[in-house]
Amino acid sequence: MPGRNAALYLSLGVVLVYCAVALFAPVIAPFDPFVISGPPLAPPDAAHLLGTNDLAQDIFSRLIWGTRATLILGFLGAVVSVVMGTTVGIVAGYYGGRIDEAVMRFLDVMMTIPFFPLLLVLTIFLRPGIYVTAVIMGLLGGLGSVRIIRSQVLSLAVADFVVGTKALGARDGYIMARHILPNVLPLVGVKFVTSAQHFMLVGIGLGFLGMGDPNVVDWGQMIERASKNGGIVLGLWWWLIPPGLAVTGISLALAWFAYACEERINPRFQVMRV
Amino acid sequence: MGDALLCVRGLKVGFPTVDGVVKASNAVDLTIQAGETLALLGETGSGKTVLGMAILRLLQPNTRIEGEILYRGRDLLSLPQEEMQKIRGREIAVVLQNSGTSLNPVLRVGDQIAEAITLHRGLKGAEAEAAAVELLERVRIADPARMAREYPHRFSGGMRERALIALALACSPSFLIADEPTRGLDAVTKHEILALFSEINRGRSVLFITHDIEAAATLATRVAVMYAGEIVEIGPVDAVLSSPAHPYTRGLLESLPARGMRPIPGSAPSLIAPPSGCRFFPRCPCSVGRCETEHPGLVPVGPGHCARCMLYD
Repeated sequence: MPGRNAALYLSLGVVLVYCAVALFAPVIAPFDPFVISGPPLAPPDAAHLLGTNDLAQDIFSRLIWGTRATLILGFLGAVVSVVMGTTVGIVAGYYGGRIDEAVMRFLDVMMTIPFFPLLLVLTIFLRPGIYVTAVIMGLLGGLGSVRIIRSQVLSLAVADFVVGTKALGARDGYIMARHILPNVLPLVGVKFVTSAQHFMLVGIGLGFLGMGDPNVVDWGQMIERASKNGGIVLGLWWWLIPPGLAVTGISLALAWFAYACEERINPRFQVMRV
Repeated sequence: MGDALLCVRGLKVGFPTVDGVVKASNAVDLTIQAGETLALLGETGSGKTVLGMAILRLLQPNTRIEGEILYRGRDLLSLPQEEMQKIRGREIAVVLQNSGTSLNPVLRVGDQIAEAITLHRGLKGAEAEAAAVELLERVRIADPARMAREYPHRFSGGMRERALIALALACSPSFLIADEPTRGLDAVTKHEILALFSEINRGRSVLFITHDIEAAATLATRVAVMYAGEIVEIGPVDAVLSSPAHPYTRGLLESLPARGMRPIPGSAPSLIAPPSGCRFFPRCPCSVGRCETEHPGLVPVGPGHCARCMLYD
């Protein structure tokens, strides 16, 4: 179906553009995002495409550099979350019994604690850098994935083909890696994309609340600065709107991509191709 | 008596459930000689599959198992897990029932067969793949090189059964357990699969689990009839099928369409609380008073032919 494929490739294209921008930030950005590059609160002109902020830093350069922080938070968080969720979920679901019981009861306790407030408290106490923040987000956010993966593995672990592979003399680790993992991989993939989107937004939220890593530029901190230091009051749209739009763009693209992938992967949505 | 390849002694299998322990196998004794095909006949729920799975130790971990399963003199039930993994597939292989779900849907059929070869024969990559194609050819799958690259959903029921047989044969096991390989196949496909089995059981011991008397008669050298977790009659295939000694075996034969299609009255007993005495007595047309209280043993009724019935005690 052309509509679905278009959505898939368009959203993937947008994500790739963001990745390229993050990768080539030093080349694209005209100024160092931290230096004074001209008069403060200047409106957009040829040198400063989006003007400058109250500290006279070039907003366009900050926007470009901010892509890095947001993508790192999102994708690193998603990698941690998905790796943890998949590993623990497969082991718990495959072995069952006491291991499963222990993991599930631990999760029950952890899931009663709301995610965002817990993350806030941890960032306040630990004052982590951007990488540690991403890992913490991934670990906390991956708890839900453990449950989802485990519930899939429960039925796979007693599937006839798993019994058959055991009957061939295969070890448990081999069965989990070669027979169970490929069966949950589509789910893991979709979970990766939705988690990345979620963690990017959470990262922006942390920055906006002033919990961001002060050593990096991120869009959340840019919005915070704009809202607290006069961007809104003075109606300086070029200060406030671009980071917001940038967030919206990547978030929409990822969500779209996840839905398009899910439609491709979930056989219920699929049209028979003979 | 030739060389016993596999010897099951006093095998008891119980599954704990909320309603009590399901006694799926009650003191089963069975010997399989090298090179013979033993058909294990019985209706659904009589403990045939459980016996096969117990030999490979593939029952759920909470299952209670007692007794001995000697394979070439080694007790499989007390073997460490690593030793057992070396025996599975290479020495004893199984063709599982439900061919539709016994292949991994997300892996190519050729890769799954190559996997078995890699696990035990140490062949890798292209070599293992070539061996897999060879096996598919041996079980007579048309265009094996192309079909090896297909996923299981492209295979028909008969082809899946063949692929499973190829999988089991991958490491030339000396003992093959075939669990209802003709189930759910049409008559033509069934005969093709049986012909395939009569080819592969040469020089190999086979435990052929089935409820199909005709299939058992075609393939087996000996037949064991199971009822409610016990072997009620065992003997050479001709003796058991032409002059059945146990009333249950007679009932089974009479229920065949060719022999009058008279069903056995009643239904199979609960394995949580099986009948006292003889397990078949509530349905037995020739029961006598002591059948209700005394549990009969297997007694000889002919050369190599035993039955578990008071009539011969």
